[in-house]
Amino acid sequence: MSNLVELNMGPQHPSMHGVLRLRLKLDGEIVREIEPIIGYLHRNAEKLCEMDYFCDNIVYFDRMDYVGAMNMEVGFLEAAEKLLGVEPPERAQWIRVVAAELNRIAAHLVWMGAFGLDLGMLTPFFYCFIEREKILNIFVELSGTRQQYNYMSIGGVYQDITPKIIEEIKEFIKQFPKKLEEIANLFLKNDIFLSRNRGLGVIEKETAISYGVTGPILRASGVPYDVRKEEPYLVYDKLNFDIPVSQKGDNLARFMIRLEEIRQSVKIVDQAITKIPDGPYFNPKAKKSLMIRLRGEGEVYARTESSKGEFGVYIVGDGGVKPYRVHVRSPTFKNLSIIPAVAKDKMIADLIAILGTFDLVFGEIDR
Amino acid sequence: MSLLERLFGVFSFLGHDLGYAVSYLIQAVLYLIVIALLLILMIYLFRKFMARLQQRLGPNRVGKFGSLQLIADAFKLLGKESILPSERDNFPFVVAPMMVLIGLMLAFVLIPYGSLYWIGSITATHSAVSVILIFALMAIMPIGELLAGVSSHNKYALLGALRAVAKDVSFEVPMMLSLLAVVMMASARVSTPLDMESLISAQFLAYGILQPLGIFLFFIAMVARASYTPFDMGESDSELVSGYSTEYTGMRFAMFYIGMFGTILLGSTLLSTLYLGGYSGPFSSSIGPIWVFIKAIILVLISFTVWLSLPRIRIDKFVNFGWKYLLPVSFINLILVGILTLGLGW
Amino acid sequence: MIGVKEVEDPKKRVPLIGMIGGMATVGKHLFEKPVTVQYPEQRREMPERFRFRIFLKLDDCVGCTLCEQVCPNGSIKMQPVDRENPRNKRKIYPDVNFGTCTVCRNCQEICPTDAIYLTNVFETSRTRNSFTYSPEELALEEDKVKK
Repeated sequence: MSNLVELNMGPQHPSMHGVLRLRLKLDGEIVREIEPIIGYLHRNAEKLCEMDYFCDNIVYFDRMDYVGAMNMEVGFLEAAEKLLGVEPPERAQWIRVVAAELNRIAAHLVWMGAFGLDLGMLTPFFYCFIEREKILNIFVELSGTRQQYNYMSIGGVYQDITPKIIEEIKEFIKQFPKKLEEIANLFLKNDIFLSRNRGLGVIEKETAISYGVTGPILRASGVPYDVRKEEPYLVYDKLNFDIPVSQKGDNLARFMIRLEEIRQSVKIVDQAITKIPDGPYFNPKAKKSLMIRLRGEGEVYARTESSKGEFGVYIVGDGGVKPYRVHVRSPTFKNLSIIPAVAKDKMIADLIAILGTFDLVFGEIDR
Repeated sequence: MSLLERLFGVFSFLGHDLGYAVSYLIQAVLYLIVIALLLILMIYLFRKFMARLQQRLGPNRVGKFGSLQLIADAFKLLGKESILPSERDNFPFVVAPMMVLIGLMLAFVLIPYGSLYWIGSITATHSAVSVILIFALMAIMPIGELLAGVSSHNKYALLGALRAVAKDVSFEVPMMLSLLAVVMMASARVSTPLDMESLISAQFLAYGILQPLGIFLFFIAMVARASYTPFDMGESDSELVSGYSTEYTGMRFAMFYIGMFGTILLGSTLLSTLYLGGYSGPFSSSIGPIWVFIKAIILVLISFTVWLSLPRIRIDKFVNFGWKYLLPVSFINLILVGILTLGLGW
Repeated sequence: MIGVKEVEDPKKRVPLIGMIGGMATVGKHLFEKPVTVQYPEQRREMPERFRFRIFLKLDDCVGCTLCEQVCPNGSIKMQPVDRENPRNKRKIYPDVNFGTCTVCRNCQEICPTDAIYLTNVFETSRTRNSFTYSPEELALEEDKVKK
């Protein structure tokens, strides 16, 4: 037993995607035991939410999955609007879909670039970020900030989408697929990349379900589960798109799933951008000083599909202007729990590759 | 006439022994300066090239187009505090970066550069067995890496050193076998095939064309020797932080860094000498070094592109690749070259 | 209309060809223009909707403290300012600590008189101890703040 070398990987480590700490027991290069240790980015977001008005909580949700903040806002507002009884108008719902899907593309691009870095590919990272930058520039026009948008408000969105932004999005959608294929080919035509990922880190269907894994990782294991499909929120049921599924369950399948999700998101944005109806973009019930007078009573759980998986928000209201309890079911936290089972008895290099495909964002795990 | 004789012409008033001693010394210092400058230029080139591939601008603040950036970096590294881990083995820890650099610098001296205009030959030193000497000197570098990894008493460093050793043993045999093919082919034409200059003179047609397998093997071996992606398992930054050089800071780290770029340049120069005809080319009697330089720079740029676009291979897969693919291929190459040399009389 | 699509693995092909193709793709970018903006010399045109620096119209502020209440992390504090304003009887105006401000824009949204608002002025670098902008500083003209 004492032959094993104990190694603390992280929280300061180049490929720990933030502040994950892994306590490894190594047998030479081979990892025998893995214990993920989290909590280095804990900011008490759930408790902070209880101390602020409903309209302020969006700010904290922006900072959970900071690479896909629009999806977090959608997730919170699904719950909060149900609790407060403020229905967003049709136009706001379409704008939210466009914003959320654009942000899903951006989040997956960040993941793709970082995954390349994990494997030692230095350059595709920049091509991914150049494309992401274009999305962020659209978001600057749309919401006013680059990453922590606070764009969606209770009962709609803060600012209307303008024809100029629609043109910009259309332009982006037009040139993006070609660039995406170029980036994807850098990965998928590379024999070293394929040899390092094919058949590695296989997650069986049953294992994935029993660990509560969701999102692209679950779909890569052959379960066609996507909240957008199971329980459509916003206007997803009016859009035509596919949920990618793979039966392989390995690293490569997870890569392929995310790649296909980017393509499907492009498809969604392409459809949604032309279908945005006219009308008000916010509900006047939640405007101006009414923002902090919204009262909600009861319990609400809403789930949405963020770029990482099923993002659930549970809010309890006691009739006051502030929530009584907010709980977040963060997808990455559940996904991380499967790491010890998957990466056991693999080499360190494989562990890094498997971790890379999990798309860890620590703002969301530690909250 | 060569550079040494010209220098001796200046110092001949000191008498034969002392004059040669002084001119050797001056020549050595000159070489050191030129190589150091070349390496600095190469790091600058790398940073600019990498930046342009990634659609950035690269260093552009210090000096015109950032040309003085590397000098500034060197001063920064010199001025940095050298943090030594308290658990280190002192002697090997201090010696390791120097060993990496010394082996590299000495190997540069043996490469034939040809003659430049009126100066004459600027090759530093001649040896009848310079090929063997170069590879012997290059074999010093892995020892430095191993010492660095083991003496740091750091788990990452230890793993990095072990990986570096595993990598070295798996590519060096195919490398030497492909070198043997070159020497074998040259031995049919010249009497001293282990001398680099006669190797070049034997290349009526660049050996890279006659031995496509050989140049491929040698290139892979040089990539692995310089240890950049795809074969940088020894210092893989996303897995082992920085591998064997994890605990090094300041100037000692810079030695490893320079050693890596130096090996790329050395590998490219060697490859151009062994397989692309070295200094031979049009007007090679007056601009020989420029031909070496051009060929080396093209190879360096190819190496950089490889570095920047490929992912890292896993260590066990590389060992597998080395023994199961590279070694048989190098034997096939040897047989093919034998057929070419003996059967066809090339 | 939401379907399920099976994702196929990439096909096996001749080794090395794809890698060389990838290297060519990377090499191709050598001839494309850099996308970076050299900030102090080149400035990107910030869109009108970009929001950062908070401004205040002292004449319009009624001292209702709504912005203080809605600020998610307490960056806004009301300060007494000795100033004649018939609409602001309590003579209190907001100050903003930009060290903690997250530019969430809630103060602008909630302000009943549109006195407090965010603009695309973003060059507001300061030393550590002066992140808090007093109401008078917030009331400066936009052009005066721009560097």
